[in-house]
Amino acid sequence: MAEYDYLFKIVLIGDSGVGKSNLLSRFTRNEFNLESKSTIGVEFATRSINVDGKTVKAQIWDTAGQERYRAITSAYYRGAVGALLVYDIAKHATYVNVTRWLKELRDHADSNIVIMLVGNKSDLKHLRAVPTEEAKSFATENELSFIETSALDASNVESAFQTILTDIHRIVSSKSLEQSADPIRGPTSDTIPVAIDSSTPATGSKCC
Amino acid sequence: MVVGDFEIEMERAASTRTTVNPDQGSIKSDAMELVDDPFHRFLHSPQPLPEPRFNHRMGHSPRSSDAEKLLRESSIRTNRRIKFIDCLSKDDVNISELRKLAWAGTPNDLRAAVWPILLGYLPLPSNLRASTLARKRGEYSSLVELAFARDRQGLDQQIWHQIEIDVPRTRPGVRLWMQASTQRSLERILYVWAIRHPASGYVQGINDLVTPFFQVFLSAYIDSDPEEFDTSLLPSAVLNAVEADSFWCLSRLLDGIQDNYISAQPGIQRSVKRMAELVAPAPLYVHLESQNVEFMQFAFRWMNCLLMREISVKNTIRMWDTYLAEGADAFSQFHLYVCSAFLVKWSEKLRQMDFQGIIMFLQSLPTQDWGDHEIEMLLSEAFVLNSIWHNAQSHFNAK
Repeated sequence: MAEYDYLFKIVLIGDSGVGKSNLLSRFTRNEFNLESKSTIGVEFATRSINVDGKTVKAQIWDTAGQERYRAITSAYYRGAVGALLVYDIAKHATYVNVTRWLKELRDHADSNIVIMLVGNKSDLKHLRAVPTEEAKSFATENELSFIETSALDASNVESAFQTILTDIHRIVSSKSLEQSADPIRGPTSDTIPVAIDSSTPATGSKCC
Repeated sequence: MVVGDFEIEMERAASTRTTVNPDQGSIKSDAMELVDDPFHRFLHSPQPLPEPRFNHRMGHSPRSSDAEKLLRESSIRTNRRIKFIDCLSKDDVNISELRKLAWAGTPNDLRAAVWPILLGYLPLPSNLRASTLARKRGEYSSLVELAFARDRQGLDQQIWHQIEIDVPRTRPGVRLWMQASTQRSLERILYVWAIRHPASGYVQGINDLVTPFFQVFLSAYIDSDPEEFDTSLLPSAVLNAVEADSFWCLSRLLDGIQDNYISAQPGIQRSVKRMAELVAPAPLYVHLESQNVEFMQFAFRWMNCLLMREISVKNTIRMWDTYLAEGADAFSQFHLYVCSAFLVKWSEKLRQMDFQGIIMFLQSLPTQDWGDHEIEMLLSEAFVLNSIWHNAQSHFNAK
């Protein structure tokens, strides 16, 4: 079962309807559904990929975008080492809300969480409401990585996940050289799932 | 299945002539009478209900034991139908008698009359029904008028925005729900409900809860599969009636589970916790714990959408026959026992799985082939759990 070197927990967050679930299904099952049901609470999927010669298993929690679900979904930020903060390039309001989502992460997630800003629906070129450059400089200012994707035509989806998982892996492997943090046992494996924040308790931690 | 066909045959025979449009579905010819009186068809029908035509249906000589079994089953159905109609024909419906009958399932063609009574939307005395219906529908249409009096800018933007996103995502791929006229109805129902309930507003998943009501009320007026029906064909009086009745019944249902949808969703938190307590004695519980599976990770949705993401609308409709018969708090109380029984049902499989397997499995359960039988098994298990627990509670309390 445990044929991987690292297990990274990632959360997908962002406003309702920006395409979080489709990004996930594109990445984990290569599927896209134009009319999928809304996500209620959280949904879960995984995929393993190769990063710098190591097998990294991404355990991804897709969250409901509606404000009312925040109390439930923010519980899932705990232990996450990465977050994809998604907005819709054709809906400016979803980009404006990115600031609120960042605050959510600051309040509920580990302080060292790696965050990637994702402008989804890049196929909607004629409807673009958020200029790429604007989002890119916002990302730089806030020390986020940035990418534009289309879950519909699959462009950059693979790359988005590959990039964030690589970033996390580099941080984790350089850390483990510095300090021999106790490995944290995941519920499913006998290998080492990793939390970046080494202050995370090693026992009794629920990976999810 | 012959028994199923047989029932459809009876329902066809019971209905009057229809306007047939094979592509888009057919409206019953007495649809307009039905708008004013949902009981019209089976209470004031000029000829008595047709007797089942056994000989005709059994024409292809099945083995005699099969034939006897079918005969027995269909006569049970017929008897149940007659009991329902007897009960509904009283000047003053005996609600406990109706509950008792509906617990075991309501015949398809009687549901649109039975559900509103069980929900308290329609009054028990028959002489008050027509005036109540007219009043409630009028009330709904003025609520709609008021809510949409100004242009789009006059709407509560936050609520409207979420509804606009979710309406096209309601039963995606199902013809009925992909049509503009159905979607406009759904928007109005959700928006009017939301602004009347500011503590919760519209919460994702409430859209799912409209669909059983809408389909049940719609089916009363048509002779074809509601999920394939084009609602733009309906006379506006009929569509308005379907929409208003769905709205009021949804409101009644949600009244009992408001806490599920207010800030921090305390109703769901409570229900999930309680469900875990109910499952705790089962060996499955230990396994889930050992795998660090938390009930919140899967049961949240079971509470938020009343299992509608786990089973079909057809299954849900059968389930709600029983919930509505159980009474006002069934959607928060009896539902817990149903969820517990539902989880335990998969014990054997789940106990072989690890964390990931469990979560993935519970996220897309193999219920696609479920029919009334599976739902009825689940309901009886929930009933047993309920009684055991209540007896235990009173036992503890007595000490």
